[in-house]
Amino acid sequence: MKTIEAEVLVIGGGATGAGVLRDVCMRGYGGLLVERSDLATGTSGRFHGLLHSGGRYAVKDPSSAKECMDENRVLRRIAADCIEDTSGYFVTTEKDDPSYSDLFVDGCRRAGIPVEEISVSAALNAEPRLSPRISRVLQVPDAAIDAWKTVWGCVRSASDHGGRALPYHKVTGILREGDIVVGAVVEDRAGDEVRIRAGFTINASGAWAAQIAALAGCGGFTILPGRGIMIAMGHRLVDTVINRCQMPTDGDILVPIRTVSVIGTTDEEASDPDDLRILQDEVDRMLADGETLVPGFRQVRALRVWAGVRPLFKDEKAESSSTREVSRSHRLLDHHDRDGVEGFITITGGKFTTFRRMAQDSVDIMGAQLKDERACHTHEEALPDSEERTYYKLGSRLAAREERLHDEQIICECELIGRRALENAMQRRGSSDLDDIRRTLRLGMGPCQGGFCIYRSAGILHSLQRIDAASATASLRDFLQERWKGLHPILYGDGLRQARLDDWIFQGLLNVEQLQS
Amino acid sequence: MTPDTVVIGAGLAGLTCALRLTEGGCKVAVVAAGAGSLHLGGATIDILGYDPAVVTSPAAALGSFIRSHPGHPYMRVAPSLWAGALEWLRARCEPLQLTGSLDENLMLPTAAGALKPSALAPRSLAAGDLGSGGKLALVSFSALKDFYPRLAAANLNRAQPGPTERVEARAIDLHGTVAGEADPGTLRLARAFEEAAFRDEIVARLKGRIEPGERVGFPAVLGLHRSPEVVAELAERIGEAVFEIPTLPPSIPGMRLHALLNRALRKAGGRVVMGASVVSSASHNGRLEAVSTDTGSRRSSHGARDFVVATGGVSAGGVTLDSSWRFKESALDLPLAGVPPPGTERFCADVFGSHPVSRVGVAVDEEWRPLDADGRVVYNNVRVCGATLAGAEPHKEMSGNGISLVTGYAVADAILRS
Repeated sequence: MKTIEAEVLVIGGGATGAGVLRDVCMRGYGGLLVERSDLATGTSGRFHGLLHSGGRYAVKDPSSAKECMDENRVLRRIAADCIEDTSGYFVTTEKDDPSYSDLFVDGCRRAGIPVEEISVSAALNAEPRLSPRISRVLQVPDAAIDAWKTVWGCVRSASDHGGRALPYHKVTGILREGDIVVGAVVEDRAGDEVRIRAGFTINASGAWAAQIAALAGCGGFTILPGRGIMIAMGHRLVDTVINRCQMPTDGDILVPIRTVSVIGTTDEEASDPDDLRILQDEVDRMLADGETLVPGFRQVRALRVWAGVRPLFKDEKAESSSTREVSRSHRLLDHHDRDGVEGFITITGGKFTTFRRMAQDSVDIMGAQLKDERACHTHEEALPDSEERTYYKLGSRLAAREERLHDEQIICECELIGRRALENAMQRRGSSDLDDIRRTLRLGMGPCQGGFCIYRSAGILHSLQRIDAASATASLRDFLQERWKGLHPILYGDGLRQARLDDWIFQGLLNVEQLQS
Repeated sequence: MTPDTVVIGAGLAGLTCALRLTEGGCKVAVVAAGAGSLHLGGATIDILGYDPAVVTSPAAALGSFIRSHPGHPYMRVAPSLWAGALEWLRARCEPLQLTGSLDENLMLPTAAGALKPSALAPRSLAAGDLGSGGKLALVSFSALKDFYPRLAAANLNRAQPGPTERVEARAIDLHGTVAGEADPGTLRLARAFEEAAFRDEIVARLKGRIEPGERVGFPAVLGLHRSPEVVAELAERIGEAVFEIPTLPPSIPGMRLHALLNRALRKAGGRVVMGASVVSSASHNGRLEAVSTDTGSRRSSHGARDFVVATGGVSAGGVTLDSSWRFKESALDLPLAGVPPPGTERFCADVFGSHPVSRVGVAVDEEWRPLDADGRVVYNNVRVCGATLAGAEPHKEMSGNGISLVTGYAVADAILRS
């Protein structure tokens, strides 16, 4: 069995894990991250893309609200290229209790969230598709954040500081010597076992944290997976994040991100964090809720639906029946104090917005255990591509494309991906999995959902001589099957027409179903 | 002039029906929202490719296929019509030299390197038939993003299910831009191939690179409307057989077929109104009296003795589904059959599975007249053909253009008989 040495092992390749990796590396430790799948495919790649101002928690969870606002400021400083500065409205619709908005303003002020009332007519002027039946609009510094770009940015930053991430390395065991955790055993993509010896192990596996901790013999807590669905609508219905001004509930937020608008979310208690089923009833509720925010919502083409799980922490002694009532603040478990196990901590819970803070707290605890306290600098140094501190702007891809319009092929017309960018990503990722390439570039994420670009991409992947025809064909088929999961529950209108055309392309025209992979 | 028949839809089914009616002496007006699906779907006439195993001979397989698929559009096609429909189309598309028959499916290479069973195809495509195996050289242009000959050749060389003999395929990449463009697209290439200078360049670049006995496969861009001459010239100058493989949409062979049928219809005296969606209709005593179309600038009413619905299925917009999961026939709001009951699956989990949605359409009687849920005729003078009909899974059966041709032909037959 191959053995790798690392000073600090980070388990989990979501935002928290990537943040922890970056933090330990910036503090001068040799960090290694392992993730069972691709980076940001668990909860981090499955949320709506909201960079919280904290407004959503202003009334019922003031400390979370303040933490969100603090981190919102930090991320705007260090990850500007991942953020679109959309701003956010909290609107009182005809279905909301009007008295909540005063509580909201008080909550924001207490949490240090800049809040400003704007007139309904000014809001409708800025967002003409918004329901005219709103009675009050409060503006806060919400924004949209690209999860994949952020997570990859943290990993790139970590590698600049000597760190390394291994996607598709699944932890199958935690190595213990007596009461000390000394690393983990992982299984790579080929199914081979690799032993990782580490001086310290940080479990940042989010909704899967209890499963990992149990491998180390540490228990006494559970993670309640709160499953929620989100639907990406075919274009930008709004350019500002829209929240309903009420106690957080289902279907009350619409986030404009990249070329789409994402409505979220539901909250169903799941028993397994890998249960990502999408119920028809949830889809129907989400579409109806969209209509409350944006009249005509149901006529808009839905692109895709997906489910994500929130990691909601529950200590065995606490009692709760509804997952939404469990604290969303993050939890740090020092297994030395809890279980008498050294060299191992667990960080879980929290929100995407606060991932950097979670990482900082984790590494501080590690330093305390190791009696080697080093200062954190993750809030000071910008992520790669964010050094200029200019926000991402919708249309920047188009502007760049227009400059090169006659120089190269556009392989994915929906997301404006050129051939060179695609080939570079394929070489850089070293992956033959078109779904990995999708996350890197947003390949196949637009209205045609891969109908045109995926045959092209499979052809290009094969022509780069990275893989044989059987693997390229398998990758194409796997991509289509994976996309299908998030497509068929929302296929109606033009989306359905497109899906039938795509089906004709792959079955009728290319007949890929008949190709053995 | 009030037409005898109004045909709604200008795809293969609508054009077939309209042209045959015109030839039969009817005054016909075609009103259509768009150009139909030939531009997307292509020009192969797939009658029956899978049941569910690959079908070698549609003529031999149709009987048992129809018996095991009650409600399928083929059920209503009189056995005497099949061969006539194919011969009729062959004669109308003489320049394309449609090749093949009901007796034996061609096995045509696809751009992914699979084999696809088709009964009838333009000669330029049929020349790539691999039913008896063969040696292929697949030529493409690195500037064309819709065709990957290396992938196709490598897949063709792997074991394929179906009745094929030994296949040996290889790829020849022609690098560089095409006509100075980095991203020319199939239509641009098709036009380039109609220029003698461009053909000279291609022939020169292939000189010495083709081995004796190799058939030379190009993406289906060998000319737009002059393709027979282009293909013949290339074959002569290269010295080996030349064929085409369909690319991603738009389909150049589909455009050729569409243009031929359209021209034939106009020449025969048929009238075609494009960009005209049917927005309402008027009926009296079980007869449809007129349909109103909206062309953006104005509304027009079209009255006739007979009406034909050939608007296509879900992909063409002939059948729609809204976000409350209500299916609707878009032209006349005809009753639909095969609609999955509320709470049941519209699709199955396998992307290539048998999706209930594919079978949704209009059920008809033996005269092709629309039926309601109780089996009663909705309009005595309306007939339905093509992908609007219920009961088929054209992508899985490989029967798309076959259904459109044969039912369009049969509906014209029914109207002419009445």
